[in-house]
Amino acid sequence: MRIELMVNGDPVSRLVEGSESLLDLLRNDLGLVGTKWGCLTGDCGACTVLVNSEPVVSCLKACAQLDGSTVTTIEGLTPTHGLSDLQQAFVDHFATQCGFCTPGMIMAAEALVNSGVPADEAAIREGLSGNLCRCTGYNKIVDAVMSVIEQRNA
Amino acid sequence: MTATETRVVGKRLPKLDAPDKVSGRIQYADDLDIPGMLTGAILRSPHAHARIVSIDVSKAEALPGVKAVIHAGNVQQRPFGYGHDNLPLKDRKVRCVGDEVAAVAAIDEATAKRALGLIDVVYEVLPAVVDPLEALEDGAPLIHDERLDIDGNVSMRWDFETGDVDKAAEEAAVIVEGTYSSPLAAPGAIETHVVIASFDRSGHLTVWSPVHMVFMYRKELADTLGLDWGNITIKQPPVGGSFGGKIDIDTHDFICVLLAEAAQRPVKLAMSREEEFIGTRTRQPIHFKLRTGADADGNILFRDTHVISDNGAYNAWGSHAMLVAMNTVTSLYRVPNSRMRCAVVYTNKSYGGSVRGFGNPQSTFAVEQQLEEIADALGRDPMELRIQNANQAGDVTPQGLKITTCGLTQCLESVKEASGWNERRGKMKDRYRGLGAAAFIHVGGGARIYGSDGCGAMIKMDDSGQISLISGSSELGQGSETALAMIVAEEVGVPMSKVRVIHSDTDVKPWDVGVHASRTTFVAGNAARLAAGRARDKLLAAAAEVLGKDDLVIEDGVISSRSEPERAMPYDKAIRRLLLREEGNVIMSTAFYDPPTENQDKGYIGNISATYGFGAHVAEVEVDPGTGQVKLLNLWTAHDVGRAINPSAVEGQIEGGAVMGIGLALTEELPVRVEVGELMAPNLHDYGLPTMVDAPRIHVDLIETNDPLGPFGAKGIGEGGLIPVPAAVANAVADAVGIRPRQFPLRPWKVLDWIQTGETSNVVKGAGRG
Amino acid sequence: MVEVLIPGTLAEALGMLADREGAVPLAGGTDVLLDMRTGRSDPTVLVDMSRLDGLRGVGIDGDLVTIGAMTSIRTIERDAELAARSTAVPEAAHVLGSVQIRVMATLGGNLCHATPSAEMPPPLLVHGAEVDIAGPDGGRTVPLADLFAGPGATTLDPGELVAAVRYPAPSNLGSCYLRQTVRWSMDLAGVGVAASVAVDGDRITTATVALGAVAPTPFVVGGVADLMADDPWDPERAGEAGRMAAAASSPISDARGSADYRCSVVAALVPRALGIAYRRAIGGWPVGRFSPTNGLVEEPA
Repeated sequence: MRIELMVNGDPVSRLVEGSESLLDLLRNDLGLVGTKWGCLTGDCGACTVLVNSEPVVSCLKACAQLDGSTVTTIEGLTPTHGLSDLQQAFVDHFATQCGFCTPGMIMAAEALVNSGVPADEAAIREGLSGNLCRCTGYNKIVDAVMSVIEQRNA
Repeated sequence: MTATETRVVGKRLPKLDAPDKVSGRIQYADDLDIPGMLTGAILRSPHAHARIVSIDVSKAEALPGVKAVIHAGNVQQRPFGYGHDNLPLKDRKVRCVGDEVAAVAAIDEATAKRALGLIDVVYEVLPAVVDPLEALEDGAPLIHDERLDIDGNVSMRWDFETGDVDKAAEEAAVIVEGTYSSPLAAPGAIETHVVIASFDRSGHLTVWSPVHMVFMYRKELADTLGLDWGNITIKQPPVGGSFGGKIDIDTHDFICVLLAEAAQRPVKLAMSREEEFIGTRTRQPIHFKLRTGADADGNILFRDTHVISDNGAYNAWGSHAMLVAMNTVTSLYRVPNSRMRCAVVYTNKSYGGSVRGFGNPQSTFAVEQQLEEIADALGRDPMELRIQNANQAGDVTPQGLKITTCGLTQCLESVKEASGWNERRGKMKDRYRGLGAAAFIHVGGGARIYGSDGCGAMIKMDDSGQISLISGSSELGQGSETALAMIVAEEVGVPMSKVRVIHSDTDVKPWDVGVHASRTTFVAGNAARLAAGRARDKLLAAAAEVLGKDDLVIEDGVISSRSEPERAMPYDKAIRRLLLREEGNVIMSTAFYDPPTENQDKGYIGNISATYGFGAHVAEVEVDPGTGQVKLLNLWTAHDVGRAINPSAVEGQIEGGAVMGIGLALTEELPVRVEVGELMAPNLHDYGLPTMVDAPRIHVDLIETNDPLGPFGAKGIGEGGLIPVPAAVANAVADAVGIRPRQFPLRPWKVLDWIQTGETSNVVKGAGRG
Repeated sequence: MVEVLIPGTLAEALGMLADREGAVPLAGGTDVLLDMRTGRSDPTVLVDMSRLDGLRGVGIDGDLVTIGAMTSIRTIERDAELAARSTAVPEAAHVLGSVQIRVMATLGGNLCHATPSAEMPPPLLVHGAEVDIAGPDGGRTVPLADLFAGPGATTLDPGELVAAVRYPAPSNLGSCYLRQTVRWSMDLAGVGVAASVAVDGDRITTATVALGAVAPTPFVVGGVADLMADDPWDPERAGEAGRMAAAASSPISDARGSADYRCSVVAALVPRALGIAYRRAIGGWPVGRFSPTNGLVEEPA
């Protein structure tokens, strides 16, 4: 079947079949390799992207359901120049080490911040628990996200 | 030691690669695409132990799109591993589920997988042995019957003895005894192993692999496949997490090269998550039967342990974890007498590699629980007992470890204070809450396990003023690249923005043992500092000719005379003045730093590291008496880091290590179906990597002891954050509900079982003294 | 190749499912794509339900709650009215998978995948939920318990779909969902326990307990109402309800705990779930606030 969607603001039209995931489309077809994969079972969150502003694990999102959707990946979140406030906060707070979970983490965090989560450590941890990070121990990710919630609320 | 005054070192600076990581621009191995590249796939054994009767690949070879099908019968390969007990593609037998039997390269993944299904392998299934105790019994199936140099299934023994343990046992006022076990666990990087291999038309091999003992990797590749190691380039893409998992060569690396050779096309081999669990190296289970004795005043008199390392089907790095486990048994606290008898045992299951902590979390789990058991038996506060027995600077331990600087006492005092130990330990049982502590010792200045423990460094200053450090070391995400750049900027006297670090191509970079044993900041840092100092001296000499002064200093990139500060010039101008003239020159320098350490002798005595890291943790838990679930409420940590080159990075290592330790303590395990030797649940869901909710905020206190040999005083800190966590958590559970956990992870059903059966300390001598 | 059909109406969807043999409804996809990838299922045709807006949404009419089958778990989790009136339902939604999974997964998908450890059935069972089933021969309504036939199996006939779930949520009823897990998030229930308690003043009028992960299907424990009703809160009887529930369980032993362990956990969690449900019923719990997942809070007075 044919789907037409917007990916990072660009129109995309593709023939897809039922087993094809959004992750396949992004990485293998569109070359948007900023989105990572760690399990293909929805357990690590590394492939998180936004579909119609909501966070999804792209490894389990069927392309066939995306006709008319708007998809944002880490490439789309990144401004032409510089970094977004959330990305800059990850840099400033040392919230990325190996960086492999980082694109998915930032996409999930962007959705979390936009969902109106309070500047509360437990709520941030709860909201991002679908994104595994093996390097950082999470403190600095929480701090980065907290700082952005506070900035945007200020 | 007092700290050297610094302008860059000691600052909280962001990682150099962070902007590219947060924007998703950095390209990991699986993000790389090479024109004409094929997809590889491996056929793995479904049996834990079987004879390979025949392999028929004809149908797979006939499938359109298949470019190579390889198996032991059509490739050149030699055994590898310690004891040369492993082959990339198994020829005669398979010895664990997941063993590599054949492989294909095809035009795409679907074709490759279909081809695997067309390979017919006939197995004759053999009795398997999964339990190491059964593997030690007479008549147990022999896993490596071809090895005539070993006794049954025992592949190695590590025996150590110092002092007189038996006499100490007679003199001891109190002795506790117990067997402490650890699980089969995984490094758990979010990026699975991915490797790409390509031969050019002149036969030169290039391998892209996120490996971090890269020169050993290259040598092993050449030795095993009969290649010319001078004709191989290894390029290291950014590592998507290793934790030891990507330390050196794995079977699939060889297979990828063999496929590329057979197909004469580039081949990528990417492990699925399931293969990552089944087919790559693990943290092997270790069983410590330990006795600790102390005198009536609480001085530790001896430790005596029998260790069985359930090493799995082959001897990779895991077989050597005993080396580190031994340091803790002999040298954590002052222990005059110690004995360790270790058997490394083959079993028909996944085999041990090198995972962060490398034998030390397991060893510390036993040693530090018994410290608290001894204290309880004596009626003493365990923190006080630790402080009483703590190692001190100037000590040489019975194993020959020379303790140059030691912040252990300060670390213990720090976590005691931060956790409210005196007010809270033993006083929260009504709410099923408890506090538990554990300390650690770990190499912090390299670990001499090879002819050299060194690292090379080169500095190149170009006409733009850019300073390149070409380091033998590797960046795994831990931030070593940034730390090394800071060391160079500090040593030369330029802003950080002028320094670039190149570290990921064997054609370019000088030799290094590799990243392991918490050694990079210390060893590669010292090498970088040496090279930077030499380049700075050349720079100042060039400037001296221009400025006509020889009392020059360089600060923030400006060279000036100490006596006449107005005589000054930007450093890049000095570079150009040297270059752009007759008989000009470029500024380059090299250094090789090999720490002043010694290989251990046959009795395992010797100072293998130039300095040692210490630290202490206190965990606070709440135990659910109905379900056995353990909630970690707090973790206070204090680490002797020598000097924090970049405090953010150091905290990141400790916090990340601590959460890895939390997983080990509470959730992470790869259960094995004993009858058939296969993993019950090789998936990320059941494995149990800690989520953000499982981890509390980790409190970190950095204790700086300014090691005289460390670069600007720094010690290695890559593993310490993890090591004491299982022990501290177990001690906290003991405080909360009065049981003695003797296995980790403390999965809920085990804890509930211990509560119901009343699993407690086993005081074999001096019970009731407290 | 897996073909995908996209119906615009429920009638079209039913027609497609009837016409195409082996057609599988695709809701959020979190189970269907995973099962296809792991080889647990191999459908040739998927019927995408995501355009059926009529099957999406939470409706409350008096005491009756209706949740469309295509409502996302995330929507249920964040619905303040549901949290106030049937706390166990969003409380269970809240612990299902991750935010990402909850955004994708639907109530209908969670019920129809019929995983024994699924989060949503126990809380709905203690609310006495019924499911509206649409089929080629018209609709029918069955008690939720009758939907489940075994692990991964429902009683739906070929071509039938779950359209909505309905349950009463009277203001004198409190409910709670607890579970035992290995990790505190991103985990499947080793044991899932839901309880509801209805009160008249402080007197219990009825009480219900339902369990997940301890039998081939989620189920309601018999006899709890008889034990608890007509009296104020009695911890002894709540404990007895736990023992009854454990006796009614028939769990398997696997990598996530032995049968005996799971029964112990049932006995421990049931009284806690009843206690929290009771507190919610009598107004002794902050409205809409979820419990710790294991319910380890102080006993109700």
